Amino acid sequence: MRRFFLMGCAALVSMSVLAQRVEVRKSGEGKIAINLASYRTGSDTASRTFLSVLKADLNRSGYFTVTSAGAELNVAGSCVSSGSRLTADCQVYKVSNRQRLLGKSYKPDTPDPRWLAHRVADDIVYAVTGKKGMASGKVAVVSNRTGRKELYVCDMDGKNIRQITKDRSIVVGPGWTPDAKNIVYTSYKRGYPNVYLTGRSKPLSSHGGLNASGAVSPDGKSLALILSRDGNPELYIKSLRTGFLKRMTKTRRGNEASPCWSPDGNHIAYVSDTSGSPQVYIIPGNGGRSQRLTSSGTENVAPDWGKNGYIVFSSRVGGRYRIAMANPSAKTLRVLETDWADYEDPSWAPDGRHIVCSRTASYRSSIYLLDTLKDSPVALLSGSVDWYSPACSP
Amino acid sequence: MNNKICKFLFFAVLAASVVTLSGCKSRKPSADMYGSDNMYGDPLLGDVPLNADNMGLPMDGDRSMFEPVMFPYDSSQVNPEEAGKVEAVAKYLNKGKGQGVIVEGHGDERGSREYNLALGERRALAIRDYLISLGVDASVIQTKSLGEELPASTGHDEGAWRQNRRGVFAIY
Repeated sequence: MRRFFLMGCAALVSMSVLAQRVEVRKSGEGKIAINLASYRTGSDTASRTFLSVLKADLNRSGYFTVTSAGAELNVAGSCVSSGSRLTADCQVYKVSNRQRLLGKSYKPDTPDPRWLAHRVADDIVYAVTGKKGMASGKVAVVSNRTGRKELYVCDMDGKNIRQITKDRSIVVGPGWTPDAKNIVYTSYKRGYPNVYLTGRSKPLSSHGGLNASGAVSPDGKSLALILSRDGNPELYIKSLRTGFLKRMTKTRRGNEASPCWSPDGNHIAYVSDTSGSPQVYIIPGNGGRSQRLTSSGTENVAPDWGKNGYIVFSSRVGGRYRIAMANPSAKTLRVLETDWADYEDPSWAPDGRHIVCSRTASYRSSIYLLDTLKDSPVALLSGSVDWYSPACSP
Repeated sequence: MNNKICKFLFFAVLAASVVTLSGCKSRKPSADMYGSDNMYGDPLLGDVPLNADNMGLPMDGDRSMFEPVMFPYDSSQVNPEEAGKVEAVAKYLNKGKGQGVIVEGHGDERGSREYNLALGERRALAIRDYLISLGVDASVIQTKSLGEELPASTGHDEGAWRQNRRGVFAIY
């Protein structure tokens, strides 16, 4: 029954990837019960914050249920705050055979309990599952909370929000550099839409016309972006060392938008409307023919190519935007089950399992965490202002 | 009515030969230019390069002088009934009044923000192409896409969207 439903979804999106196989979700898969009852903290706020953030991170990871009884794993150790320092140690044991899966001490330079909890959570996820966690990742996001559209960064749990730009202008479409240290974004702070890098006042690109949708390649050497300098919006690759520009598309009747790189840096997925509606295409980075990934009848926009090989994008189905993921080499497609709201601008979380996206309901946009396996969506940023265009650090 | 059709045909062909066409309004559109591949309201834009850099260019201008050009949904085609608004600006600039114009392209809130940025730019560029064909010097026409970021109406219905799909002239 479920299989038929999913196939129905796939038919609605009707991807052009032929002979596709619809992935059937693994449902009812159990989580690992993990017990932190014996973990010791002081009575101070910092070490108690550490423990509560750690528990929340483990629950959010999708792999664990934090319990106080009947656990498969026990977490022992302590977190101590003394003066301006916060230290912790952490051991994870299997209850059944007392096998130790993790034993580590932490003496960070920062006294921030959240920072430390996120790292410990990711270490536990990795020690137990062998998979990368997402807790120490960050989300770049745009909000109108000051009345202007500025760039913000928060932790993967939606906390620790910091305003990055004070341009008093318009910020569009942020994305991280591969070292997760800086953010590329489009801003109108000098009148025209130019591409900027955080920590650098001179724009990365300021040609006449449109400069937008900058995306840095995995090796950090190139910038894929949309320029209209030659008379029409097209996809270009700019060398960040020499400034050399390579034009990738020639579609004088169409628009290009939203480039993103494949994990190996050899291909770029982007949006083009040359077919009459915006669809996702893939082009080799060294030039050559582009291939259409998604097909007509609907709109497929805002792709993000994860390290897991899947391209996640926003797909308009039956008048509303949903999140779809496609594997271009295995030729699979899946539309995530979501409610009636519009889900847009998806971005892979660092764990390759979760997706952060915007959810718009009643014309108010907030940021949600979606699980591609089984967990329910979680609101990360919401309230009386708009939050949109999220981008997770790699 | 005839006049309108003439304008429409004229606009369809002007992009093919922006440079050579200026001032010459009588050329007939070729079949492939006006053919079925232009079914989505996206004109074939000219390839007159824009200014090399936008740093130092005028950033703002007077938006009260000319009426904005309105566009259909997901289209960057200047419709015949809107062409007169572009011609009025060309006439003004060709008389040597004003130094130049920033053409600001806007879209409605539907669709992705980054796609709407590109669509807004195409609207501005379609107007720019028409201005160039009417004899305006390309270097005094700047394009600026604002995508869906600065709506004229903050409503969420077809009436608001119609007002927001526009090309605005800021004269400097």
